Amino acid sequence: MYGGGNTFEHIKSNGLENEDPEKLAQFEARIERGEKIEPNDWMPQLYRKQLIRMIEQHAHSEIIGALPEGTWITRAPGFKRKLALMAKVQDEVGHAQLLYSAAETLGKSREQMIDDLINGKSKYSNIFNYPAFTWADSCFISWLVDAGAIVNQLANARGSYGPYCRALDRICAEESFHLKYGHHCVIHMAAGTEKQREMMQAAINRWWPPMMHFFGPSDKISVHSEILMRWKVKMGSNDDMRNQFLDMYVPKIWEIGFTIPDENLRKNEVTGRWEYTEPDWEEFKRVINGDGPCNKERLAVRRTAEERGRWVREALLAPKTEYVAPLA
Amino acid sequence: MMTNTEALKELIYKMADDQLILGHRNSEWTGFGPLLEEDIAFSSMAQDKVGQSYALYQILNDLGEGDPDTVAFMRNADQFHNSQLVELPNGEYDFSLVRHFLFDTAEAIRFQMLTNCSHEPLAQLANKIKGELRYHTMHADIWIKQLGRATEESVSKLQDSLDRLIPYAIGVFEPSPMEDQIIEDKIFEGEGKLRQQWEEAILVVISKTSLNLPDLSLVKPVYGGRVGQHTEHLQPLLDEMSEVFKIDPTADW
Amino acid sequence: MASLRCHFYLITYMESLDPRVNRLNLSTTELTSKAPLDQLGTYEVFSQLKEDKPYFHVGPVHAPNCEMAFLFAKEQFSRRQTCTGLFVVETRNIKVSVFTEGEDTVYNYISNPGELANGNTESFELFHLKKRGKQHEYIGTIEASSAEVALSMVKSEFINDKPVYNIWIIKTSDIESSQDEDKIIWDTLPDKKFRDAIAYKAADKIKEFKERQ
Repeated sequence: MYGGGNTFEHIKSNGLENEDPEKLAQFEARIERGEKIEPNDWMPQLYRKQLIRMIEQHAHSEIIGALPEGTWITRAPGFKRKLALMAKVQDEVGHAQLLYSAAETLGKSREQMIDDLINGKSKYSNIFNYPAFTWADSCFISWLVDAGAIVNQLANARGSYGPYCRALDRICAEESFHLKYGHHCVIHMAAGTEKQREMMQAAINRWWPPMMHFFGPSDKISVHSEILMRWKVKMGSNDDMRNQFLDMYVPKIWEIGFTIPDENLRKNEVTGRWEYTEPDWEEFKRVINGDGPCNKERLAVRRTAEERGRWVREALLAPKTEYVAPLA
Repeated sequence: MMTNTEALKELIYKMADDQLILGHRNSEWTGFGPLLEEDIAFSSMAQDKVGQSYALYQILNDLGEGDPDTVAFMRNADQFHNSQLVELPNGEYDFSLVRHFLFDTAEAIRFQMLTNCSHEPLAQLANKIKGELRYHTMHADIWIKQLGRATEESVSKLQDSLDRLIPYAIGVFEPSPMEDQIIEDKIFEGEGKLRQQWEEAILVVISKTSLNLPDLSLVKPVYGGRVGQHTEHLQPLLDEMSEVFKIDPTADW
Repeated sequence: MASLRCHFYLITYMESLDPRVNRLNLSTTELTSKAPLDQLGTYEVFSQLKEDKPYFHVGPVHAPNCEMAFLFAKEQFSRRQTCTGLFVVETRNIKVSVFTEGEDTVYNYISNPGELANGNTESFELFHLKKRGKQHEYIGTIEASSAEVALSMVKSEFINDKPVYNIWIIKTSDIESSQDEDKIIWDTLPDKKFRDAIAYKAADKIKEFKERQ
């Protein structure tokens, strides 16, 4: 689950002056035609670097994203929810595997990526730095955070890099159950007891601000990345993605009688765009740089899992096998 | 029509409780596994177990017991009939792997025997899930063989867990007071026969490793689980499992 | 405009909301010495969705050997979709051709069959990439003395067909596949409705809710 919005904040120079102009032209023409780039094709350094960064962050978001929902696996109420949540969180881990594999085709090993995650060098979707206080919080995540991720993923599935597109095709197919399951949970809370409704409304109130951050900073304060749009690495502006999400899901939230804690939230019928209170981008920056409620815990969990699993991996490596990058 | 549904229900309860508790324990590894691919595989098997327990509680429901959610989420520890083996808290991965190996080997044989059960729904279920169990035992065998011969550390860890878990594993075969009835009614060939086949099966795998199996005839089994006597670990597990459900057991979640 | 505040700063560090996490006894040190990179081998996975359909490449797994690669592949690539067969092969054992695009087929770059080599032949499996961005598809088996010879043997068959953009060719003996008796491991997949989007019908509940208002 990944919003994508904050990946490209640090492009300084293109470095394109060092690239062979003829090869670059062919590369861009291929993308222009709608053809996919495959691992063995020539590609500019910037393309490779930005893709690794983006896919890697997406992978990290999946494995970290498994944690707030995972909070409720052992406490899911009833068999149906128990089985579904187990399957859903498992899927997140599976998506991480697919995405690390896609990034590996570009030349970075999975172990290196996981190392960078644990050391704080690589980022992941900010929304997972918040805690899932109640069962209703897990319902919110399963429905709306997944919904946001799907908006992003559907866009990226039309991107230019073959392995990433293939991974996303698989992911989108699996996500359809996640979205339905999440929506199903929230509706049951809405149509349930007074306590259930209150729990769900409280969760919505808590999670709305991070959800508004999900697609990254607003376009007017974001770094411009026309070249990444041209290369079909970035598939839409942050505001466009956010608007699409609001358009699809705010009516569905209102339909079941919940309120959203933003009195300025409304659709401008003339422009077709949603208006809302400008999210607090200072808070976003603070949290993504380590100062959120769960950052330390999330990384500590990953670190602990890696450390405690080390003896297992060492036992698997005897006799030693040779690592190669996946083919596709 | 069964002359003695009590014996049948007793058998199904202990199987369902075993599957539920072990599936629950194994789901605690989701997201924390030693390797992504293995995390995914272990989670699938946990789901299979919980799914199997759900199917078994449904058979019980058809025999007059409560609905599965209530039966699973509202009973207290002394009303559960799982073996103590499955309620022990997860240790390191060696602990969970060894438990998976010991339990799943028995479970596969048990369900194989149950394909001939005189109670049709149970026989049908046993037939249906053969494939799942085949994967579970394949998985366990491959892992035990791999880690049981790999490094000094892996062998010693596995050996420790094996030594610790064997008495509890034999506790799975705690004979029922209605054992004779069960055999006579052709519900099941009995814990004795099951234990025998299990001992042969685990020996086959262990002998391919550097691990040692103690003389099983000398091991004092840990009994009690089948009659509601449990370790201090079960009630906290149940409390956790039912935490949200109990907010309002009548609610539709 | 007032900006929204987040109401999350209530929990103390290391006391998690997740009971499973609390049982992990998280290490509290921030810095860890750099772990030596431990890398497992790479295996490509192929699956067959239905009896009469060809095998397709679905993705890679990391594993220490073929047996484990198969175990992992089964759950990673066939836990949600029924499948009738699965196989894995070490990535290193796949020979890859050049990539082409547009109207240009890879077979333009395959040499014509020269003298057929004498001596031992073995079996090779051939896969085509028919569209960039899609997956490699199983085409057939060829008996030849080497992968290169195998390709030149089939060149005439494909050179005038629709373009092939990439070829994978694998020695049959390098493949670790599911056996017929293993097919039952996929038996209960269709029953796992809790993983199907279609099992989550919400329309009635929404209707019920609206009627109550």
